[in-house]
Amino acid sequence: MITPFEIAYKNLLRKKVRSLLTLVGIMLSTWVLVSLFGFNRGYEAALNRDIENMGYQIMVMAKGCPYEAATMMLQGGKGLRYMEQSVVRDITKEPEVDRVTPILMQAYFDPNKGESGGIAGFYGVDAGSYPAMKPFFRFRKGGWFKDNAADEVVMGYEAAELEQREVGDFTIVPEKNVKLKVVGILERTGSQDDGTTFVPLKTLQRIAQTDQITTVGVKVKKDADLNSLESKLYQLKDVQVVSFSQVKQTIMKLVSTARVMVFSIAVVALLIAMVGVVNTVLMSVLERRQEIGILKTMGAMPAHIFLLVWTETLILCSLGGAAGICLALVFSRLTDMLARSILPYAPSGGLVAIDLKLSLLSLAIIVVVGLLSGLYPAWQAGRIRPLESIRGE
Amino acid sequence: MSRVFLRVFLALAALALWATPSLAAVGCDLNNPERDVPRLFPESTSYQTVYFSIATQGGAPVLKRIENRLGASYLPLYAPIDVPYTRYEIYRDKKKIGYIHGVNQKGQFGGIQLFIAQDLTGRVKTFYLQKITGASASKFRAAKFAKKFEGITLRDFDSYDPVRGKGTGKLARIPNPSPELETDFYGILRGLKKNLVLMDEFVFAAERGKP
Repeated sequence: MITPFEIAYKNLLRKKVRSLLTLVGIMLSTWVLVSLFGFNRGYEAALNRDIENMGYQIMVMAKGCPYEAATMMLQGGKGLRYMEQSVVRDITKEPEVDRVTPILMQAYFDPNKGESGGIAGFYGVDAGSYPAMKPFFRFRKGGWFKDNAADEVVMGYEAAELEQREVGDFTIVPEKNVKLKVVGILERTGSQDDGTTFVPLKTLQRIAQTDQITTVGVKVKKDADLNSLESKLYQLKDVQVVSFSQVKQTIMKLVSTARVMVFSIAVVALLIAMVGVVNTVLMSVLERRQEIGILKTMGAMPAHIFLLVWTETLILCSLGGAAGICLALVFSRLTDMLARSILPYAPSGGLVAIDLKLSLLSLAIIVVVGLLSGLYPAWQAGRIRPLESIRGE
Repeated sequence: MSRVFLRVFLALAALALWATPSLAAVGCDLNNPERDVPRLFPESTSYQTVYFSIATQGGAPVLKRIENRLGASYLPLYAPIDVPYTRYEIYRDKKKIGYIHGVNQKGQFGGIQLFIAQDLTGRVKTFYLQKITGASASKFRAAKFAKKFEGITLRDFDSYDPVRGKGTGKLARIPNPSPELETDFYGILRGLKKNLVLMDEFVFAAERGKP
């Protein structure tokens, strides 16, 4: 015996082009919706991962140097502000603090980089405390420095690749002409560490002729009150505190504006697709008035007709939704690339995270909204009067 | 019908794989092509940028062939097959008049970025070290040193071995401007040979019809 599902399917096949266009509409709106949901989850996860990869949640730096990387790019070492190393001791006293690591950033002008010269950056880190902050670092070759005063460097993968360095090679600090031996090359991390050249803290202090530092990285104890710690750190003299949770909130605020706009577009696309569904099914009902009338004269109840027409909506929405999810999965990398090219800041790693749960949720939304849209045509079909419809033809 | 769906799916999958961002190796681009191209090729009026890698130009067999022509130690230390090369095709009005191409080469204290501008026969018109690290780096970047490479072709390396620093001809007559930095001097010569071989392999051989 033929089932209502088979009848509905055959009805849709009668007008193939119309059904296909409706399917494409649903598919495209599902694609946008799934990609948006995926981006919503993926972006935050990627941002969290980037912050986690920093190894510390708070950076304490000298006042007046909020964006050290930018300062180094624009002004070289001259724009950097320094603070006393005793700050490390003061920060360590706080009960919320798990670990601290002092850092000295230095930038030197290399006249032989490009036509007008360029900046070579060095990151002075404490051999005792810094590696513990980055337990996920893996060495491609070699390892960390022997001690804090060794004339050695550890290079991120891309820094080593650019400089064509191997373990055992030498590199040179421009302006100062100090030779340093490469003792370790890191595996790729996908973060800014890949382009960093790490030097033992005391070595870089010696080269820079300073006993000060530029930054302190602070790892906070699990479940510690970050806000309370930040307030206490602000009491320290001439320092400013950059909390990555603040940074995250700011970035998320920036991104949420774009997200609301895209979400609005997705909603409009969904509405247009659903109007298409109503149009397709309603047209199909109007074209089959006589047929529906005959079905009724043969004993079909309004509920049967309603169900039959509603099943058509169900088929359209399920197929269109499933195809849209496939499209979103297949093109997630492309969406990722597009988002990266548009966003002012994109964390490393995948920005679009689509999994089974998200796919099923999106499909459920499409099907439910579709079925709601199908209520009117199905209701119209159910109330067709048999004699009137047959006579009308 | 199912075959059509399968074909559509495979096409989409192929497109998605193409769009997969990979962890790219470090390539060698001009820092500022708008400024650098007219400087390296004064008669140019426009240029077109072409990106390629050994992976996209034939993969492992091509790598093997290049290694045979150069010796494996010439190629980049990191991911030689994936290194993206940038070729600038130079035009005067609508007529192609030459190429600019750069390579990374290991130097004594850092990477050397070596560019050459070539005419359509493969002859070096201009030689440019975009980056070289070290106290005497400026001697290698001096115009006087760059001028020594004008007119060099790949054939000049038939009579000169830049690994051993032995041979005759134009290359053997080029003096090292900084004798204390032998690694950099021979690194530059090896980089030049690599640059000429890559251009011959990917451009001139194709134009001749065979490698």
